[in-house]
Amino acid sequence: MNLTYVRIELFRQCRDVGNLMFTIVMPAVMYLLFGNMFGGGGESAGNGNVKFYIMASMAAYGAAVATTAIAGSAATESILGWGRQIALTPMKPSGFIGAKVCVALIVGAVSAAAVFTMGAATGAVADSWRIWLGSYLIAVFGAAIFALYGMGVGMSFKSESALGVASGGMVFFAFFGNVFLPLSGTMLDIARFTPMYGYTGLVRWPLLEGQGAASGGPVDSIWLLVANLVIWALLFATLALWALRRSRARR
Amino acid sequence: MNIQSPALTLDAVRKTFHTANGPLEAVAGINLSVGTGEIVAFLGPNGAGKTTTIDMMLGLTAPSSGTVRVFGKSPRTAVADGDISAVLQTGGLLRDLTVQETVTAIAALHDAKDRIDSVMERTDITALAKRKVSKCSGGEQQRLKFALALLPDPRLLILDEPTAGMDVSARHAFWETMRQDALEGRTVLFATHYLEEAQDFAERTVLIGAGRVLADGPTTKLRDLTGARVVSATLPTGAITALAVAALEALEQVSSVRLAGQRITVTGPNSDAAARLLLGELAASDLEITAPTLDAAFMELTGAKA
Repeated sequence: MNLTYVRIELFRQCRDVGNLMFTIVMPAVMYLLFGNMFGGGGESAGNGNVKFYIMASMAAYGAAVATTAIAGSAATESILGWGRQIALTPMKPSGFIGAKVCVALIVGAVSAAAVFTMGAATGAVADSWRIWLGSYLIAVFGAAIFALYGMGVGMSFKSESALGVASGGMVFFAFFGNVFLPLSGTMLDIARFTPMYGYTGLVRWPLLEGQGAASGGPVDSIWLLVANLVIWALLFATLALWALRRSRARR
Repeated sequence: MNIQSPALTLDAVRKTFHTANGPLEAVAGINLSVGTGEIVAFLGPNGAGKTTTIDMMLGLTAPSSGTVRVFGKSPRTAVADGDISAVLQTGGLLRDLTVQETVTAIAALHDAKDRIDSVMERTDITALAKRKVSKCSGGEQQRLKFALALLPDPRLLILDEPTAGMDVSARHAFWETMRQDALEGRTVLFATHYLEEAQDFAERTVLIGAGRVLADGPTTKLRDLTGARVVSATLPTGAITALAVAALEALEQVSSVRLAGQRITVTGPNSDAAARLLLGELAASDLEITAPTLDAAFMELTGAKA
């Protein structure tokens, strides 16, 4: 890992104000909107309150969208020929992907931190600091699978619109992944197979330990959530690898 | 390290792409050896296979068959060791980085931070340091890419159409910088489709077309090869064309005489004698003398080999 390269790449991403609004400001604002939609949000939920539940959901969404957008920018760079420029240096493809994922995780961490700060300031409560920390760390590191997703989709399409497709897909996954609104019935049954379900469920695990948003609803085992995350991670990794090979073969 | 090993060798290198319309042979068997310190022009029209061949020299693409060695090593090893570097064709820069950031990022990957200042000075981009790449002109971007190529202090420098998209003055300034650099004893191979760039800068020219080496030798020889000029004129009405053709064919160094109506076309290196004859004795009008284009030279070469 080349730290100077990561630093310059990070500065570059930070200058893209439009992208930062989308990846950092928007999830925080969405937390404020959703957080006040269900009454005060002060009702207890699991080991904290409803506001914490919504905060964790939005932090997960923010971190995932941030890693998708940053990693997806690898596609635009490859169209610009930057990958060929990099190929003239001793840095290996794995180093390039590593640096990209590293920058994506840093921006994702900032995005999740923005939502958590907003939550702390507006009344999100949990029984212990361990719940805060656990939820935050799972949000940040779990978002790595969406870096694979962003890279895979970005390189499959090989055009400027790839990023839009990847980000648009995230909104869809978030709705059908039980992230924005608590789903029930058939919708919830379908949701269990979508890529954000396992990840968000794990981010909420320290708070809810698998319970649904509505008390008395079905309880997910941690293994179901982990299995969802692992299977989608494998699928996205396969997609990213396939897209990388394909983009090379075309040269 | 073996000092005797040439800077670059290509041995029966081929590259076939699989396209929707079936296999496409971009490089159809190239043999080439470049010695240390040589300056070689890689001359050919667009689509001749220049970029594909260069990609294989740099290890960006693997050949379908044959071998490429750079200072006796595999291209990827040579790139990792900083022995070979390149200015690639248009593109290859991030538009939202500044010039300084671009140089710093690539220098970090080469572990060559100590060379940043001297390289930027040498390529005349120090004054542009804080400018965004997107705000740089084509010539400035090309100088930046040249700076990136110099960072590892390569022994072999490859330039793929380095002046594409530059105006005449920028092109001259670029080659002026190159000339100074070449004096340091680097081996340089550059691709171009401008005949004059090869003539002005390279001692040796490798002419390639349709993925093959058509000619390889001193650039001055190439000038002879393409020295044939075309003289055409319109004969006066009523002139006996057969006599005119016979008179022109009798001239020395005339390779062909063609007639279309009253318009007569003479090809050969001795254009002066043909012109004198046409305007004088033959009383022809509308005289035109044209130097051959590179394309014409290629046709002549490929025609000769067929």
